[in-house]
Amino acid sequence: MSDVALPALADAPAKTEQTETPARPRRRLPYLQAAPMALVFVVFLAIPLLLTLMVSFWEYNEYEIIPAFTLQNYRDVFEGCGNLADPCTTVRTYLSTLKFCALTLAFTLMVGFPVAYFLAFHVRSRAVQMALFLLCTIPFWTSNVIRMISWIPLLGRNGLVNDTLRSLGVIERPIEGLLYSDFSVTLAFVHLYTVFMIVPIFNSMARIDRSLIEAAYDAGATGWQTLWSVVVPLCKPGIAIGTIFVLTLVMGDFVTVGVMGGQQIASVGKVIQVQMSYLQFPAAAANAVVLLAAVLMMILGLTRVIDLRKEL
Amino acid sequence: MTNGIKFTRRTLLQGAGTALAAGPITGFPAVHAAEPVTLRYLGTAVNQSGDIARKVKEDLGITIEYIPVVTDEVTKRAVTQPNSFDLIDTEFFSLKKIVPSGNILGMDARRIKNADKITPIFTKGEIAGKAIGDQGTAPKKVFYLEGQTGKSFASSPTEWITLIPTTYNADTLGIRPDLIKRPITSWRELLNPEFKGRASILNIPSIGIMDAAMVVEATGDYTYGDKGNMTKAEIDRTIKLLIEAKRAGQFRAFWQDFNESVNLMASGETVIQSMWSPAVTKVRTQGVACTYQPLKEGYRAWATGFGLPKTLTGRKLDAAYDFVNWFLSGWAGAYLNRQGYYSAVPETAKTQMEPYEWAYWMEGKPAEKDIHGPDGGLLEKAGATRDGGSFEARMGAVACWNAVMDENTYMVRKWNEFIAA
Amino acid sequence: MSDRPRGLAFTALAAFFALYVLFLYGPTLTILALSFQGPQGGLTFPMNGVSTHWFGKLWAGGGIVDIWAAFGRSLRLSFVVMVLTVVLAFFAGLAFRKGFRGANALFAIAVASLIVPSIVVSLGIGLEFRLVDDAINALAAATGWGWLQDHGTAMGLYSSALGAHLTWTLPFGLLIMFAVFNRFDPAYEEAARDLGATGAQTLRHVVVPILAPALVGVALFGFTLSFDELARTSQAIGGRNSLPLELQGLTTTVTTPEIYALGSLTTAVSALVIGTALAASLLLQRRRARRSLAGA
Repeated sequence: MSDVALPALADAPAKTEQTETPARPRRRLPYLQAAPMALVFVVFLAIPLLLTLMVSFWEYNEYEIIPAFTLQNYRDVFEGCGNLADPCTTVRTYLSTLKFCALTLAFTLMVGFPVAYFLAFHVRSRAVQMALFLLCTIPFWTSNVIRMISWIPLLGRNGLVNDTLRSLGVIERPIEGLLYSDFSVTLAFVHLYTVFMIVPIFNSMARIDRSLIEAAYDAGATGWQTLWSVVVPLCKPGIAIGTIFVLTLVMGDFVTVGVMGGQQIASVGKVIQVQMSYLQFPAAAANAVVLLAAVLMMILGLTRVIDLRKEL
Repeated sequence: MTNGIKFTRRTLLQGAGTALAAGPITGFPAVHAAEPVTLRYLGTAVNQSGDIARKVKEDLGITIEYIPVVTDEVTKRAVTQPNSFDLIDTEFFSLKKIVPSGNILGMDARRIKNADKITPIFTKGEIAGKAIGDQGTAPKKVFYLEGQTGKSFASSPTEWITLIPTTYNADTLGIRPDLIKRPITSWRELLNPEFKGRASILNIPSIGIMDAAMVVEATGDYTYGDKGNMTKAEIDRTIKLLIEAKRAGQFRAFWQDFNESVNLMASGETVIQSMWSPAVTKVRTQGVACTYQPLKEGYRAWATGFGLPKTLTGRKLDAAYDFVNWFLSGWAGAYLNRQGYYSAVPETAKTQMEPYEWAYWMEGKPAEKDIHGPDGGLLEKAGATRDGGSFEARMGAVACWNAVMDENTYMVRKWNEFIAA
Repeated sequence: MSDRPRGLAFTALAAFFALYVLFLYGPTLTILALSFQGPQGGLTFPMNGVSTHWFGKLWAGGGIVDIWAAFGRSLRLSFVVMVLTVVLAFFAGLAFRKGFRGANALFAIAVASLIVPSIVVSLGIGLEFRLVDDAINALAAATGWGWLQDHGTAMGLYSSALGAHLTWTLPFGLLIMFAVFNRFDPAYEEAARDLGATGAQTLRHVVVPILAPALVGVALFGFTLSFDELARTSQAIGGRNSLPLELQGLTTTVTTPEIYALGSLTTAVSALVIGTALAASLLLQRRRARRSLAGA
């Protein structure tokens, strides 16, 4: 029995053809067992999303939303977007968000893959693996609000990093770009989301048959060749799942970009949040629908490259 | 229902009568101690202090449960979740959204003991007989309601008050004199390229844009009809200026809350930014030089006040009135004054402050003794004077008030464009 | 692989892992250091003396607002989320094993729940409750029923916020259950049934004990995800704040190193809890291993 408690997109749907005694109550049982979860998703996900779609076509004023059909909210989102020379707010915002997606993806993968590899292939005991994983989760128990604030004393103009570098004589003037820049935003993202990359990749690696690797070595492959032509291809599902996590998390973020970017960098989530706080629900809903469409398109694109359903 | 309210009001008035006889502070009806009442107090953390809650518990037996949220969230909750609180402490400008939603109840002026002593800044828009700037959502424009459940503001005094003022102040630029090393006299310095990469502005759209408007007027480029109620063209013009400055790298960061503004200045990330007076004080207590700089164009003022949700009835309603009365009776006012805010009824606050404290905080005189904050920490050494001078000098130089514009929706959209630029 | 000697690759990767952990703990260590800030110190360096002043203040609860109350609320909410996540995910996992019509649809919506950006979910739930409130208010106005007149909002910690958290924790829980059931040998159940156990008995005395460590894992995951959840809760919270929202609200005024002290404390406590959970599950495993050895 394996017990490493990790999220893994296992091949459960494939298991649906389980042999089962055909007695009547037994047939009904699975429905009862799945019903509570289905109910939660219907009430707190499906209906809210449909309502969001509906309200995005409503009108509003300062203090109420008015059920009348209008396309104005979408017109506002895309206003001036025909002009390619001077992109509109929405295009700019999405470009900036996409940039962070790409950067975060690259770095979480670069960090996450070796870490997962280390945990999967070099740590021999399951107990140690689990302990190391838990070691990685402890920092997440301190509220993110507090952790965000603590980047300032670490990266600021007179922060720990700059002070250390200065006292070591590496630099003369503090590096300004450490904080409130693309760098700091990416850094915070990598800090937050690498775990979401490590776990699925680790899970893919854990399922690789060790004899395959032995076979590759026996056939004379070097370590790198084995890694590249055996391990990496077999990790594709894990990488794909990690990518989906990271993309979604970065696309929808509004706290990290705000704090680490010194409130100067736009993000789609931030736009939605500002509109919400100014009670412009329909405008926020329209933006949310566009965001959702963008995210779904990216994921569909991913599933084109890797057949997720088959890999799962 | 209505009869019930009238009945309680009458009894309370009687209670207040006895209270007057008993003494100024502790003489409130002590019924609450017997049957504990809890008031959920929604507001920003600015006015929420453990000391005040403790003192109220002691004096009135009312338990205050604070719900701290960010500025915009206060308005949002008032409009969307009106029974999630028993007492709201919100900015006057948000009334333009809250009152039309019908979610707050006009406060009965007759039940507010010190109603007639509330500073004329609120009731008439003047100080010491002199009119002050009223651009934007000046409190006097939204101070009275037509009726208790009215959805429109009254132009002349009525007995229904929207919000009983808690604190107010005037904001200006905060600077680091040790890093700037020259006098700053105008709002235009905020966008002076000399401070490239070391300036900051407030990222709360409705307030930030007013700071920008102060800069625009200071440069002499343009004079607004009403900075607190711009036309679309004026919004475009202001945002354009901000975008240019942003692209040129003028701003180090934007700040959104008290804590961010303190951190930016204290850590030297910025040397010039719009700032709240107590934030300047906070930077100074950390041993960092920081000046709350009076400017020739004047201040942008703000005010917050207590409101009652329309769902409040019975004993909770009585308790809310008792609490508001207690708040105006002096102790809380003195407490706020010592933090650098101003209180609604200065004369009651005065009775709770030492003469030297009053002279320093309110009259702009040099401190005779060391000045301590409410927590006992040293704020200023003897001999220091308060930036901006006396209460009258500060509030008399107000140019405009925090506001909600008619073109608010458009403004928020343009602000998002500025952030994305 | 496991019988190859640990070479250069191991050292390099171990060093890399150590660096990653250091990076992960960077902010945590900063928080730890700054929570010992002197009484006059602020939220940033330099340290203004070293003291346990802020821990004392935190303990006394004399801060601006009652942080412990918010802490308690978040703790309770996360506990409820945790229990629901474990129970719902466990039973859904069982259902998926047996198979049912609509299994693919449920799986799809669970995955969707993960990938829909949090702010969108939050907005949706906020809207849903707002519309429900509007409907109730309209009903109150139309009928004049007294008991409805005071209705303000149906939003709350245990309605909208709970739902928002579940949309986040349940998919993870379900995926873990998939991984676990995949490696679960049905022979145990068959054996139990052959011995005459009913379905419920099999579940209670065979399946649950075997899966206990995994269920602990689901619980831990659910709790962690819920306790620090901010984005999904932000627009779906009722009158009373969860801890992360309360902390965010606190930043509107003078913020002291007290919140760092809180951060250090939660980290320490969580390390303790996680350590205990790990030890417990290891113990369970060892005992089972011993028992199965004895059985063999």
